[in-house]
Amino acid sequence: MSSSVQFYMTTILVYLGVDIIACLGLNLQFGMTGLVNFSFIVFQAAGAYTAAVVTLGPSSGNGGFQRYVGGANWPFPLPILAAAVVGGLLALIIGLFGLRRLRADYQAMVLLVVSLIATTVANNASGLVNGANGLALVPKPLQSTFNLSPLGFQWVFALISLSVAALIYLLVRRITNSPLGRTLRAVRENEFAAIALGKNVAALRLRAFVIGGAIAAVSGALFVEFITAWSPASWLFTESFVYFAALIVGGAGNNLGAVVGAALVPVGFLEATRFIPQFGRPGLVDALQWIVVGLLVALFLWFWPQGVFPERKRRYPPSRLRPSEADSPAPDRAPEMSPGA
Amino acid sequence: MLAVDGATFEVRRGTITGMIGPNGAGKSTVLALLAGALMCASGSIVFDGVDVTSRSAYARARLGLIRTFQASSEFPRLTVLENLLVASRSRRGDSVLRVLAGPRTWRRDEEADLDRARALLGRFELSGQEQEYAGNLSGGQKRLLEIARGLMAEPKLLLLDEPMAGVNPALIQRIEEHLAVLRDEGLTMLMVEHELGVVERLCEPTIVMAQGRVLSEGTMAELRANEAVLDAYLS
Repeated sequence: MSSSVQFYMTTILVYLGVDIIACLGLNLQFGMTGLVNFSFIVFQAAGAYTAAVVTLGPSSGNGGFQRYVGGANWPFPLPILAAAVVGGLLALIIGLFGLRRLRADYQAMVLLVVSLIATTVANNASGLVNGANGLALVPKPLQSTFNLSPLGFQWVFALISLSVAALIYLLVRRITNSPLGRTLRAVRENEFAAIALGKNVAALRLRAFVIGGAIAAVSGALFVEFITAWSPASWLFTESFVYFAALIVGGAGNNLGAVVGAALVPVGFLEATRFIPQFGRPGLVDALQWIVVGLLVALFLWFWPQGVFPERKRRYPPSRLRPSEADSPAPDRAPEMSPGA
Repeated sequence: MLAVDGATFEVRRGTITGMIGPNGAGKSTVLALLAGALMCASGSIVFDGVDVTSRSAYARARLGLIRTFQASSEFPRLTVLENLLVASRSRRGDSVLRVLAGPRTWRRDEEADLDRARALLGRFELSGQEQEYAGNLSGGQKRLLEIARGLMAEPKLLLLDEPMAGVNPALIQRIEEHLAVLRDEGLTMLMVEHELGVVERLCEPTIVMAQGRVLSEGTMAELRANEAVLDAYLS
């Protein structure tokens, strides 16, 4: 296999790992808990900026052409861990005012506004994360430590990306298969009934928001350590919709659906459009990408709302004291989903 | 425009207290105020010796003040069994740290909850629907599920908001039988209901509300002889 093919394949594998992590985080928020987090990309960006800043060193270094707060030379994987902490803290702050006392549709609007504000601040506060130019020349992790060749680094980082994705999958699965996961789904289905049964719905939503935010930040940190640059153009609010599209296509509420959705949409579908020859005026194919993503979402919501891998029915072991009185099995079809569910 | 105005009454332990009155009397609003879904602008609510007036709805539920809803309020894309499990008073499994530490930290509670939930499903003849999505149940089954779910929460006071509404006569009788058994077992309930025959058979005392105020209280026979009550229903 030629080097160029290996480069391309490993790059795809890294993107796959990053997108799986992001989709798992959003699945916990949206698929399990019903939080329509239109600011999801902000947390991925926070992770990317954090990892970049604690890897680049002081802003006075590298010729001082980049201006940003902080700066350190932390070895891998500390930047990833720092990103998770920052992502979680940011989610806590935003969640405390954005999620309380608001109906779900208003929460979605507030979070969309948060996304718009975040990109505006990042673009204009040039001393924060170097403004619209963003951060570049982020050192690649482990490459000098282990004297890796460029291709060697590609393979190592692909392995790291997919390993972290597997770890995140196990973490999220532990949550979704627990009583907490069941309670989050109950909150999604009927928050008023959940409250009437003693559930602190605001606190439960915040938990899912914070954990999902931390996971999103991890995906951003891994991404920036690989592509070595990050700017506001990388995280426009529309990028959140790509992840939503991935969940809708793959199957919201199902962790395997999140994985499949990540492979199909941000990786498979968007990557496939690279091979479409340019036609019409410059940038037309890139613009059409967004139209097709939107159409994909609409088509799935109309005809296949539960996605490729629908949320599965949980089964519980027989009771020790009293065997379940099984009658003929009920049909395995979930009730109709309401739009946006 | 008033939404209730002067509703002062007591619910005695171990009874089913009925609440009747014409439409717009404020009965469901009173239930919502008691449950904490609405907050009082004035007045107080004392539950089991604790002033809960300023407490949130979920906090009141944790004290044992559990309500059912007039319209079906199941968790539709959870199974029947899961609908009950969610109502468990044990919150160990809702802790992020315990969940991340692994199932050993919550498995024992879960097993106990499974036993209780299945026992309740058996009692309400829903065992065969254990694995069915709650949203796929019939209206009557959903009503039974809601009562079973309320019991799973181990209530000290169960607020029933028109449990017979929209239910066929055969199922009304079944629900009535279940509530009678619960009353005999000592469960305290406050039931808003329009089916006066059910109220007469199950409840003592019965409170009559009209225009946001408690009009009278007593047995149905006493209320039938009360001119003010008759006027309220006829006007």
